[in-house]
Formats: sequence, C-alpha cells, structure tokens
Amino acid sequence: MKLIYQMLIATLEQHLDDTMKNPAVVGVLCTDQQGHNLGCRGSLSDEHGGVVSVLAKQAAALTRDPTDSPTVCLESESGNILVRSHGTITVAVHKIAS
Amino acid sequence: MTTAALTAGLERIPDQLGYLVISEDGVLASAGELENDEHTAGVMMQMVRTASRFRLAGSVEPPFKRMSVILEDFVYTVTVSGQKVFVVKRQNNQQEPISV
Amino acid sequence: MGCCYSSENETTEQDSDESKPLITHPNPVSKPPNGTDWITTSVPSARTDEQALLTSILTKTAQNIIDVSAADSVMMEQHEYMDKARQYSTKLAVLSNSLPQKKALALPSLTSQPHQVLASDLVPYSDVQQVSKIAAYAYSAISQIKVDAKEELVVQFAIP
Repeated sequence: MKLIYQMLIATLEQHLDDTMKNPAVVGVLCTDQQGHNLGCRGSLSDEHGGVVSVLAKQAAALTRDPTDSPTVCLESESGNILVRSHGTITVAVHKIAS
Repeated sequence: MTTAALTAGLERIPDQLGYLVISEDGVLASAGELENDEHTAGVMMQMVRTASRFRLAGSVEPPFKRMSVILEDFVYTVTVSGQKVFVVKRQNNQQEPISV
Repeated sequence: MGCCYSSENETTEQDSDESKPLITHPNPVSKPPNGTDWITTSVPSARTDEQALLTSILTKTAQNIIDVSAADSVMMEQHEYMDKARQYSTKLAVLSNSLPQKKALALPSLTSQPHQVLASDLVPYSDVQQVSKIAAYAYSAISQIKVDAKEELVVQFAIP
C-alpha cells in the first residue's frame, strides 16, 4: 500500500517537473478538494492550495452542465494563473507572457 | 461615474452577451443574459473575494487585473474598479471543445 | 499545509474564555464523561501480582474508552431545553453587542479602466487546453490513491 502510494506520488512529481520544463511556465500546483497540497513547483506553493481549490469549487457553481468544466484564469500583463479541476483534484499553472 | 456611463462602455464590448455591475449592497445594473441574475452575481462576488486573497511571494497586491471563467461556449470576464465588480459574459469563439 | 484561508489568524486573547460555559450549570454533574468513576485505581498491597496486573489492565482500558452513553446521562425535560435556549439567546445577544463589528473585507481595486480590461483579448485557447491536459494527467497519476477504512471507529461494548 505504502509502496503504491509512493509510486503514484512519484508519477505526479515527475508530471510537475515535466510541466515546469515549458519555458513559459513558472509555477505549478496540484491540490485536492480540501485544499491539501499534493505537490507544487516554482512560484506556486503550499499557501496557495486553499485559494486555488476554493476558487475552482466556486466556479463550478456557474454552470449546470457537469461535463462543462470551467477554467478560472487570473490575468495580468506579466502573466496568467490558470486553475482547472479534473475529478477530485485541481491544478494551477502560472504562465508568464511570452 | 453615473450608472449609465458605466454601462454604456460595457454595451460596446465585442461579443458581449450580458453584463452585471455589483456593489457590496447588491446588483447595480444588469442586462442581456445576465439580467437580474442574482445567482451569478453572488458567485462572482464570492470568487472575487477568494481570488483577491491570492498573493505571489513578495507581493502585497493581488497578481491580476482581470479574472476569467472560461466555459465551452462563453467566458465570464470580471474586474473590480472603484468598489464595484464588473462582470461581462462574452461569447467564446475559440474553436473545437477541449478534448482530454 | 496550505488549507484555505490558513493565513487568517484570529486573535487569541480570549482563548481562556472559549472553554468556559456560557451559562453556569445550576447543579453541576460531577460524573466524569468517560465513566472511570466505577474503577478504583488504587491497588491494595494485600492483592496478588496477578490482581494488580488485571486491575492495571482494566484501568488502562477504561482510560482508552470514551463512553458515549454517559454523555447523554443528563436528562432534561422539554421545558428545561426551552428555558436553556432562551437563556443562551439572551446571553448571546448581550455578548454580541460588546463584540467589535467585523467589517467586510473591502474589495481590491484591480484597475482604473474596467471597460478596457474587460474588452481586451480572451485567454488563448491553447493555454486553456494546456492546463486541461495537465489537470487530466495529474488526476490519472493520483486517482488510484485511496484510503481503505478497515475498522470501525466506534466499538460497541456489551455491558452486562
């Protein structure tokens, strides 16, 4: 059980590392529905998990279609923070303007 | 700025389907698909409050000028100015649905 | 751990008051809630080692049990409940008057030109697609983690 857990976490960590290889991406974060941090890199850290998961949950109230998953984007001239849920997890990606 | 002056600008936004102007006390103006849409107004107010707590390391200001909620067919664009929340529902003209 | 709103620290100066009952109980019940009152913890020296051992096991077990049934031991009549509810609401009304009004968080000012900001180009579709893919992949990596609850958290004891 513990071994499987470690393997899955390692898979996620690898995925976060791969995401960070994109030159426009300066931060990435993965959280569960309660805002517990499952992993993060760069400009996004532990402290952002709560806001990110709450924002995704609130956005879901804007559509009645359960298959239409909203993407929330916080935009500025220097870059965007995109938030998107899939199943029980929510990810945030910080991209700088290229 | 009068309410009429506020909304005249919103009417001219390309592809707009409707808008809301909200203050602490409630909806100040609404039109189109968002006319009298108290539900969306409430959710947007909550989201603005949530998002405004977001800070990047070493910054005291929220790191955004606009918040967008992107759905398959339309996009809500939201900003805050002079203690008023502006929400504009815009058509999402961007091609095929997202395949994952 | 980044829980939502974890940065919001309430002032702690009234901590000591938090556990104090709002209204004092007219006839306080001295019975401890975990029901240890029926166990003598002292071991007379005359007892054998075996008895002492058994007693210590019993004591330890009793300390580890939270007797849920004991919590309901204080029976109240309906009018007593109503009475209490009234007392609490009066007390709360008095206390809330003395609390400082918590002002709603002022809205941030994000821009001085809302129309321009709202009319500017939408987020590129490719970015939305990219974050969707990242989320889907992250979910597939993590979705197999499950917590298996194997044992009941509350155990029923057959009391003779």
